[in-house]
Amino acid sequence: MPQAMFDDPDGMLAMLRESAAGFAAQHSGTKSLRDKRASAGDLDKQAWKAMAEAGWTGLLLPEGLGGAGLGMREQAVLSEALGRALIAEPVAMAAVFSGALLANVSVSEERTRLCAGIADSSVIAVPAWQNPSKSSHARPVVATATAGGFALTGEKHFVDAARSATDFLVVADCSEGCLLLSVPAASAGVTINERPGIDGAMIASLTFAGCEVPESLVLARAESADALLESPILHARLALAAELAGIASRALEITIGYTKDRVQFGKPIASFQAIQHRLVDMWSDAEFACAAVVNAVETLDAGDVRAAQLAVLAAKARTGDAAFSICRRALHLHGAMGFTDECDIGLYLKRAINLNATLGQSEALRLQFVDLERAA
Amino acid sequence: MAADWNELPDEEFRKVFRSWVDENCPPHLRYMRKQRPLFDEVAEWYHALAAKGWLAPTWPQEHGGMGLSPAKHMIYVEEWGRLGCPRIPDHGIGLVGPLLIQYGTQEQKAHYLPRILSGEHVWCQGYSEPNAGSDLASLRTQAVLDGDEFVINGQKIWTTLAHCANWIFVLVRTDKEAKPQRGITVLLADLASPGVRVRPITNLRGEADFCEVFFDNVRVPVKNLVGKVNEGWTVAKSVLGHERIFLGAPTRPEYALGRLERLAEARGAFDDPAFVSRYAKLRLDLYDLGSSFERFAKVLRSGGELGADVSMLKIFTTELYQRITEEMLLVAGEEARFADDLDAGNGQVDAMNLFLDSRAPAIFGGSNEIQKNILAKAVLELPG
Ligand SMILES: Cc1cc2nc3c(=O)[nH]c(=O)nc-3n(C[C@H](O)[C@H](O)[C@H](O)COP(=O)(O)OP(=O)(O)OC[C@H]3O[C@@H](n4cnc5c(N)ncnc54)[C@H](O)[C@@H]3O)c2cc1C
Repeated sequence: MPQAMFDDPDGMLAMLRESAAGFAAQHSGTKSLRDKRASAGDLDKQAWKAMAEAGWTGLLLPEGLGGAGLGMREQAVLSEALGRALIAEPVAMAAVFSGALLANVSVSEERTRLCAGIADSSVIAVPAWQNPSKSSHARPVVATATAGGFALTGEKHFVDAARSATDFLVVADCSEGCLLLSVPAASAGVTINERPGIDGAMIASLTFAGCEVPESLVLARAESADALLESPILHARLALAAELAGIASRALEITIGYTKDRVQFGKPIASFQAIQHRLVDMWSDAEFACAAVVNAVETLDAGDVRAAQLAVLAAKARTGDAAFSICRRALHLHGAMGFTDECDIGLYLKRAINLNATLGQSEALRLQFVDLERAA
Repeated sequence: MAADWNELPDEEFRKVFRSWVDENCPPHLRYMRKQRPLFDEVAEWYHALAAKGWLAPTWPQEHGGMGLSPAKHMIYVEEWGRLGCPRIPDHGIGLVGPLLIQYGTQEQKAHYLPRILSGEHVWCQGYSEPNAGSDLASLRTQAVLDGDEFVINGQKIWTTLAHCANWIFVLVRTDKEAKPQRGITVLLADLASPGVRVRPITNLRGEADFCEVFFDNVRVPVKNLVGKVNEGWTVAKSVLGHERIFLGAPTRPEYALGRLERLAEARGAFDDPAFVSRYAKLRLDLYDLGSSFERFAKVLRSGGELGADVSMLKIFTTELYQRITEEMLLVAGEEARFADDLDAGNGQVDAMNLFLDSRAPAIFGGSNEIQKNILAKAVLELPG
């Protein structure tokens, strides 16, 4: 069955897969998703803590900062495994994205605190960087200098796990360009506005109304937001791609299992050629998705930044399409059962929709790929 | 006696029907988010139609219907959709009525038809079972004759609106030895009978609009038999008749395309050539669906009968509905992550709700694969 296949000379990746499977046996992803939906939650604290204990929340962080010091190869294997088990915690944003944001800023007490906390789960630091869409009335966050630091005003959108967060990593415009600030979630002047995500977890926008942030919590200054965000987006997209590949592969397996068991007209429905051909198409899509993830990881490892960006754009686009379309077909092949809430295949579809739309839908990413490739 | 609607020219009928409906269908019930409102939620509209004599478009006037020809019936359905009227619990009107009018005894007609019109009886359809979906003929819920009663044991599933219905027309097996299609019988059962249990099932959209229905020694009087014992398969299959065309009607994609346009306008998507190109494909698919639908509508208008080839419409329209709602999620961009409705200027568009809903019509009413099997055999006469 489809899986991202990496060289694994020391068996490290196999071990990681095994421990993810063990984790999944202890923490049912589907149950956790349903619980979140029922309680309007956004992060399963128990699962998150256990993931930290396994070394996963700080997987990419350097050992000196409390992390495991591993690379995207390990992250991809982990994210794929989490996707398969539908362990829908905000790893891509609250671990990979935040970790990559912090990895690039200069040493400070606050950075040290955040990194150590992310790794041991005492800190849940989520990025708040996305501006309101152009069609909305809301304005992006602007930082104005005050006596002891800055005051923030404006909005940030698509913040995962905002309710559970201890700290927000806020990207704000200022007169000299751009700032990255660490803002305690309980700060005065921050309001969390939540909306239900399609997979059950809440997604928030943050409103800052003159929120005061001391100078000591300024993590970085940059000429533009792009300089701060390029690497976090790249790494988070790749983690999402791996998670999507896992979702796609698992949804395929579940459907193969279901259609082999389901008997109509005196035969398993998987014996009908119309269904076999569909399953073969789905399998092929999942294989392409996994290969795209492997290619992105290897290209990133090879060190050519532009090539890596292309590969990651391709991988996120390919896996997003694969997961979304495989899950749609999977649902259909479950018949009316697929149209129920109790059947897990619907949760796979909903999770795929969420991740596919996170950090750019496939079409937008393909256009970026072509733009980048054709740019002189 | 009511007018003979069929005498009116089509456009005249359309005007009369449309203006009354527009005036009388309560605005707060238009464009309901729910695909399948419960009886109580739309009762005022149901009763208003009944009072006007317009609740049962196809029933003969002697039974309290409008006696519409298939052609006029199509206008009725079209205008209903265009005005955003809610779906009413319509198993009584659409299925039980025609069933009884064709196969029922005088007594059954006199008893049940008025009660459908008054809303006293709300019906649901008990065909599918856990192990009898596409292969409906393999159904196993059994009924055994005991004196002047049938005793029913077994289980139905996916029974739409069973939790708001009080009657069910149910397919049961009355002969286990015969070929599957031969041993099936149609019975009418009061859901208040001892031994009936109804369990709602929550669907993908988070609503409970279909149910499991359990029968544990449920006794049904012999007079509730429709047609003859063991001939229920023919009865059950024949009720749809010309109404099969509606499974292929452009209603759902038409509505969804309107919502897509609204969303796209609000988001400036019409300035994006890539969107316009995809939109154009959907728009023309809908336009051309109209042409093919018209081809079959003409058959009905000229008094002909539909052939098996009408299944092609059902496949096309359900897939188009899916493609349009998928495009909505694309236009939504990152907001496709949300479960709730999207802002679209003044008003909201329920993109995700429609996307999830669009998964169902490809499954029910004979799944699209089953429709293709029918087309392959009955139209193309392929071997095997
Ligand atoms: C929203 C909704 C409302 C419904 N309401 C009612 C109701 O009120 N009353 C009622 O009786 N039923 C109702 N149904 C049930 C509906 O009739 C069945 O879902 C349908 O007959 C398909 O059966 P199944 O769900 O068991 O799927 P299955 O028959 O198990 O099919 C599973 C998949 O296999 C495919 N398949 C099956 N056989 C073949 C084949 N030979 N070749 C190729 N592919 C095949 C199907 O297309 C499908 O994709 C409803 C269903 C839905 C989704």
